[in-house]
Amino acid sequence: MPPAPGEHRWRQATEIRDEWLGWALSTRPADRAAAEAAISQLYRLIGHDEPQFLWVDSPAAAMPVIPAPPRFRAGTTPAAEAHRPVAAKLADLMTALRGNLDDRTGRPWARIPWRREVWRDLRLEPDLADLVETAVRDSLRDTVRDSICTPLRLALETIAGHALGLAWHGQHDAYWIAHYDAWRRMGGVSFAAADAARLDLWATLARSCGWWWPGEELCVIAERPVSVRTEPVPGGAHGELRLHDPHGPAVRYADGWAVHAWHGTRVPVWVTSGPTVQRISGERNVEVRRCAIERIGWDTYVDQARLRLVATSPDPGNPGSDLRLYDLPEELWGLRARLLLAVNGSLERDGQRRRYGLSVPADLDDPIAAAGWTYGLSGEHYAQLVRRT
Amino acid sequence: MTVTLADLSDRTGLAVLDHLEREVTVPVINGPQAQGDLIVIPHHLVADEALLAHTTWTEVPAEGIELLRGATGGNPHTLVADPGTCQWTDDFWDSAMLAIGALRATAPVYLLHPEHGATGLTPGTYLIRRQREFDHRSRRQRIVAD
Repeated sequence: MPPAPGEHRWRQATEIRDEWLGWALSTRPADRAAAEAAISQLYRLIGHDEPQFLWVDSPAAAMPVIPAPPRFRAGTTPAAEAHRPVAAKLADLMTALRGNLDDRTGRPWARIPWRREVWRDLRLEPDLADLVETAVRDSLRDTVRDSICTPLRLALETIAGHALGLAWHGQHDAYWIAHYDAWRRMGGVSFAAADAARLDLWATLARSCGWWWPGEELCVIAERPVSVRTEPVPGGAHGELRLHDPHGPAVRYADGWAVHAWHGTRVPVWVTSGPTVQRISGERNVEVRRCAIERIGWDTYVDQARLRLVATSPDPGNPGSDLRLYDLPEELWGLRARLLLAVNGSLERDGQRRRYGLSVPADLDDPIAAAGWTYGLSGEHYAQLVRRT
Repeated sequence: MTVTLADLSDRTGLAVLDHLEREVTVPVINGPQAQGDLIVIPHHLVADEALLAHTTWTEVPAEGIELLRGATGGNPHTLVADPGTCQWTDDFWDSAMLAIGALRATAPVYLLHPEHGATGLTPGTYLIRRQREFDHRSRRQRIVAD
């Protein structure tokens, strides 16, 4: 069968995405020469001499050495303009570049996704813009910006004790660079030579270093992490990933600074290293609590936390297994909540049947009705379940 | 005609895990049944919630249709049918917002999963839904990942 007409374009978009995703996840030592040359060129574009460079092992290590920005007041006079901080001028430079590129594509990167559909039918020649936006832009925005860069930034803000100012993210800026790179490589558009050259500078940085903070005379640049652990996002149609490691840091830098994550949720180190019922009780963040419980397993948690059993009932279609409905302690969850503990119908590799806990609305008193609710069925219909595998 | 897990695995080229019994006949069932985080519901039970009267059906190809992949990206639930006996649609509204599609079959069809094994459906029209749980915090439902 000849390949469908859309398939070639699809593969091309996927390759471009994966190439940039690879740079965003790279754990190789920085290409210091390339990064310094690109940053020096950006400084020259805003009328500054190239800075001194200070390399650090992690974004956390950069916190104490980032030069304070000069005091300035926004003004309209040329003199005031000249005294704006380098970081602000670089932000303008980047914004102007992205504006120019958006003008060429006719589809701004930040367009409100009022119509977002997963494009699946390879028999149709897809509109290039839709293809770039779904397969490249949205995928990398979700993975690189929202699932990697943002958790790192939040972790960093807890160290810094305040919101971070203007920072650039090197490899983690790949999410927007890839979008424009896909447009030009897939033949959708040609950019003005000056804009293309500037895009190349940002692209070079995304391929060569970690986060960086431009000061007036000193630019602090962080190395890339030494390990990044991810998993595919469930139901992700375009290779989306999220941070996850059940046993250790999800992102780790050479100096030991690390961020832990459980299925995409940033968690304190204890969630992966030693979750206990006591620690879970003391945790104020309900998402962190849920992650910690999932880490030790709902069944273990139910046993150890001595949850109050509301009702139990044989699971229809799953002979020999019970459905058990528990109250979750209101003081722990902050509201009335119930947990349905069910048993898988098929054996695991180790010959065990896995138990799993599902939250259900607190007004359900009957385990059968609760199990039915999880499938949008009445208890009466769920009771007719013939088989569970 | 009886079908075993080994038959389905051979027919589709989809592997199943070694600990599952490969030579046992796969039961063919006409009631609701669950496979992991999916449930198969005879359409007449939920006819008021999922209207299929005006949907467009497509033939299920010989290699089957992958309905859903597991949380780790592998382990798909695959719908397997003899050519010409089964049609599929996901072009309809399910008021529970859980349906991933519906099928109508004129011969037995099968759902195959590397970990959960296989299960058969008698001819008829079925809705396939995912499982949800209640997020007490946001007071909204969220989909369960297998």
